[in-house]
Amino acid sequence: MRVVYTDVLVIGGGLAGLRVAIGARRRGHDAIVLSLVPPKRSHSAAAQGGMQASLANVTKGQGDNEDVHFEDTVKGSDWGADQQVVRMFVNTAPKAVRELAAWGVPWSRVRQGDRQVIINGEKVTITERDAAHGLVAQRDFGGTRKWRTCYVSDGTGHAMLFAVGDRAIAEGIPVHERTEALALIHDGKRCYGAIVRDLITGEITAYVARATAIATGGAGRVYRVTTNAVICEGIGAALALETGIVPLGNMEAVQFHPTGIFPAGILVTEGCRGDGGLLRDASGHRFMPDYEPEKKELASRDVVSRRMEEHIRKGNAAKSRFGEHLWLDITLLGRKHIEHNLREVKEICQYFLGVDPADQWIPVRPAQHYTMGGVRTDHTGQTPALRGLFAAGEAACWDMHGFNRLGGNSVAETVVAGMIVGEFIADFVESPEGEIDIPTAVLREALAAERGKLDVLLKGSGSEQADTLKAEMQQTMTDNVGIFRTGADLQRAVDKLQELLVRSRNIGLRSRRDGPNPELVTAYRVQKMIKVALCVAQGALTRTESRGAHFREDFPRRNDAEWLRRTLATWSDPRATLPTLNYEALDVGRMELPPGWRGYGNKDYVDHPDTPQRAAEVAKLRETLGDAGRHSVQAALMPYEHLLPAGLRGRNERIDEKLPP
Amino acid sequence: MDFLQSATGLALGLFMWVHMFFVATILLGKDAMWTVARMFEGYFIFGRPVYGLVSALVATIATLFVVHAALALRKFPANYRQYRTYRDHMKEMKHEDTTLWYWQVVTGFALFFLASVHLYIMLTRPDRIGPFESADRVWSDLMWPLYLVLLFAVEFHGGVGLYRLALKWGWFEGDGRDAAGTRRKLRIFKWALTGFFLVLGLLTLAAYMKIGSDHAPFYGQHYVPAAPSPRG
Amino acid sequence: MSSVTDSAPPAAAIPPADAPKRMLHFHVLRHDPQDPVSIPHFEVFELEEAPGMTLFIALNEIREQLDPSLAFDFVCRAGICGSCGMVVNGRPGLACRTLTQDLPAEISLAPLPAFELIADLSVNTGKWMRGMSERLETWVHSLGQEADLSRLEERMDPELADRIYELDRCIECGCCVAACGTARMREDFVGAVGLNKIARFALDPRDQRTDQDFYELVGNDDGVFGCMTLLGCHDVCPKQLPLQTQIAFLRRKMVKAGL
Repeated sequence: MRVVYTDVLVIGGGLAGLRVAIGARRRGHDAIVLSLVPPKRSHSAAAQGGMQASLANVTKGQGDNEDVHFEDTVKGSDWGADQQVVRMFVNTAPKAVRELAAWGVPWSRVRQGDRQVIINGEKVTITERDAAHGLVAQRDFGGTRKWRTCYVSDGTGHAMLFAVGDRAIAEGIPVHERTEALALIHDGKRCYGAIVRDLITGEITAYVARATAIATGGAGRVYRVTTNAVICEGIGAALALETGIVPLGNMEAVQFHPTGIFPAGILVTEGCRGDGGLLRDASGHRFMPDYEPEKKELASRDVVSRRMEEHIRKGNAAKSRFGEHLWLDITLLGRKHIEHNLREVKEICQYFLGVDPADQWIPVRPAQHYTMGGVRTDHTGQTPALRGLFAAGEAACWDMHGFNRLGGNSVAETVVAGMIVGEFIADFVESPEGEIDIPTAVLREALAAERGKLDVLLKGSGSEQADTLKAEMQQTMTDNVGIFRTGADLQRAVDKLQELLVRSRNIGLRSRRDGPNPELVTAYRVQKMIKVALCVAQGALTRTESRGAHFREDFPRRNDAEWLRRTLATWSDPRATLPTLNYEALDVGRMELPPGWRGYGNKDYVDHPDTPQRAAEVAKLRETLGDAGRHSVQAALMPYEHLLPAGLRGRNERIDEKLPP
Repeated sequence: MDFLQSATGLALGLFMWVHMFFVATILLGKDAMWTVARMFEGYFIFGRPVYGLVSALVATIATLFVVHAALALRKFPANYRQYRTYRDHMKEMKHEDTTLWYWQVVTGFALFFLASVHLYIMLTRPDRIGPFESADRVWSDLMWPLYLVLLFAVEFHGGVGLYRLALKWGWFEGDGRDAAGTRRKLRIFKWALTGFFLVLGLLTLAAYMKIGSDHAPFYGQHYVPAAPSPRG
Repeated sequence: MSSVTDSAPPAAAIPPADAPKRMLHFHVLRHDPQDPVSIPHFEVFELEEAPGMTLFIALNEIREQLDPSLAFDFVCRAGICGSCGMVVNGRPGLACRTLTQDLPAEISLAPLPAFELIADLSVNTGKWMRGMSERLETWVHSLGQEADLSRLEERMDPELADRIYELDRCIECGCCVAACGTARMREDFVGAVGLNKIARFALDPRDQRTDQDFYELVGNDDGVFGCMTLLGCHDVCPKQLPLQTQIAFLRRKMVKAGL
């Protein structure tokens, strides 16, 4: 029996996982990171555009602060987010940028004086303040009122991941590369670690830990057309789901990015539009102002994606032999800007399309991009259902994104959640609860169970092919659980996925070696992925309203009266073919920002019965407190600072908001 | 050590160019060559040939040569496995600078022997440098096959070596913005120089062979300039 | 340049559908070092070329249709993560962004040399890179106290930040190591990836190591003085890093530090 013991086991070596491990390590605890691939190859590297943090250094960001970032994020979420968590997040984001700056991230910096930018298709001259010279710069992104997105040219995620990855090496944190968690070890109340397979040798090992964190990223690969890396298969979510007791939150909340290059689905950053790029149709018409006169191309992603599909349906798409698409035009930004600030975009266009984006338009169509849902946690990142299990980043439903995430908030969440959860996980390990006492029989059984499942695949006589099941699942999801959803389509998806799930219990392999066997990996993963896909489809079918990225054509209105609730999907019976759905109500009475219109998209929604009363309370409080200062007003509306780890409390300094020395 | 290797290489490379020009003076006539040879012997300063000067110069070059060779040995494949790995790598990559290095090693290896022989003769018989003396050595002493191979080896090795030096230390790159352009130009320049010196070298060698064969009956006879030297 | 509201669409960049289809032959080097009876050999797979086909698409098609056991690595499939370095017709490169239309019909694929082979086209670059990072300590060494995260960040000249990012773009794909004759012959050579990292941290004022400290790390024959300026690294780097210039810069700096 192979057993490895550690204090903190982090499953997933992207930004969130690495930052959690660093947090625990710095508090003096041993941490091991499991990663499918070398950690610097994680999908975090693909975040090109930037990270939101209200530093307010650039002229166009002046007046930005936590309050504005908070409002933008909550509105972006279509009021699906946990507002206290959003507060924790927006207050920590500037600290995260500054920490990364100290760790070596070469953030693009402000240069004093005049510069030319493109806003709404026009050349505009902006003058940057002398006081901001050399501080971290911000660019414009969708769904934000201020320029808030800090960036490193267009390789933000890459630069962040390398700085954090190198920091983990500096801290001496072992990363067990090319290992995969197959199941969590637990007794129904407490998580004890995971059963882990070595993807090179095929050996399985029990990793026993006082605390375990899932940071495995999103589940984009349950769709056929996605911007996600091939390793983003929702396995972390499935690990939690397969415990039978840990719920996944809001899995139906799936974001589609407006500009996946067509047909490959590779992402071109929102920075293209943030920097002034335009969307055009077959006839070259810029159509977004027709739908969204205020935010135009820079409405939130769910809205832009929907408008694009709507425009395609009206017969305005450009046609190629691969199907219909629209155009992204960044030629007006000029070659110098593209080659300097959008170089990854240029490379992608050059290598995958043979297009020079400084001269030609880029064929784009919305593609699956982000999983807002995930392992449901409390504000500390811990799952209430299973003590000792934490989750962070895209894999988690910490819930700062609700039903739609703003561009630049995901890469920000990875490091912010990593900082916060890293502290809480250390607190947990240091608390009496952090002690574990696990009989070896439990480990032996857990190992035997996983060995048994692998042997059924390797030695069994099943007849289904894993690749085929996976392809059918992906096609089903892309066809029926996309941007526009209907009850009929969703029912079709749920039926099909149930059929696939049954078939997935009868997979047979053509290649039967253990060790580096890609077919075996696909087989055990697809069994998990179909369950995750079912949580998405079933959640979407049941949610008879439209909210954020979840849009039901048969229920086009947001319905706060019935659906201001978070979906919780559990899978208690391993033989079942559907998840069990429960709902957790969001408390309007405690919201700092009561539900209303987002400022873009649909204005028509059904209010929650408590909303008018809370709105009146909030208005009154604001009036009474008047000029007490924004921090006092905020504290009166919805206290949150006590929820943060002690070391991360406190205000953030800005050029216009000096802290006392 | 890398710096020393580069420095000795540079010195040797530049010396070879100059040396080639001096030797090639034969193409301008026997008198020209005679004058150059005597000049190195201090004939025009002391009024008589001081062969020790030549020997000293040769000794200096030989020292540089030995140091350079010893340092360069570090870079040679240390065993057959490394050699095979490199060969395979080179054949796969089809990459000019990688292939050039292989030939640099091969020619460098050849120079261990060829140049050693030449240097030894020059060191021991500095008096036998002159239009007839050298020609006799080339032709009657049957040294021309050695010189032919030596010529190719030296010009190739030196050309590639100097080109690589420029890249290695980033000379001529300016602000580094057009390093690729610099490299392209350097490569053209290198091939042009190698070509030029090879042609010059071959002509020179041919000239000595011609003189040597004509002079063979009078082997050993010293050359006496047709026109009296300025002070002679 | 196009006008703001309306503009004529450009000609389609994708080649026409009626272009003749080729049959491609992939000669793939197969080997499982853990299997005692496995010997390295080339296996040929035949596939019909599709428009816009990359090696990512082709290899997955081979795995789905012809041989489910074929091992290879892809992650982002967008040229960003550096997972899919392999030797394509003799040259190391990123497979995901190599279009088959740019290759002849006979395509040879081999794993990156110089790294531990996992199976077929999959190599353990991660292990090598971690070793390199530990050896060269590729992180910012800020002596003294931690930054106060509540305060304004340290300022940095915008141009310097850009220059650091230029070197920070390395994705550790390993192509430079595989293309390096020196690294092939000598296992301990840090490669262009290592030298570039040192150049990057030497440029970064937040890293308080001195030239002398860097000399301790790379001022030897396994470091910058082992480099023979073959420039295979520079010519295959998928990110077009200025390796030629950076290594030359580092060499000059290290000679000065060594004196």
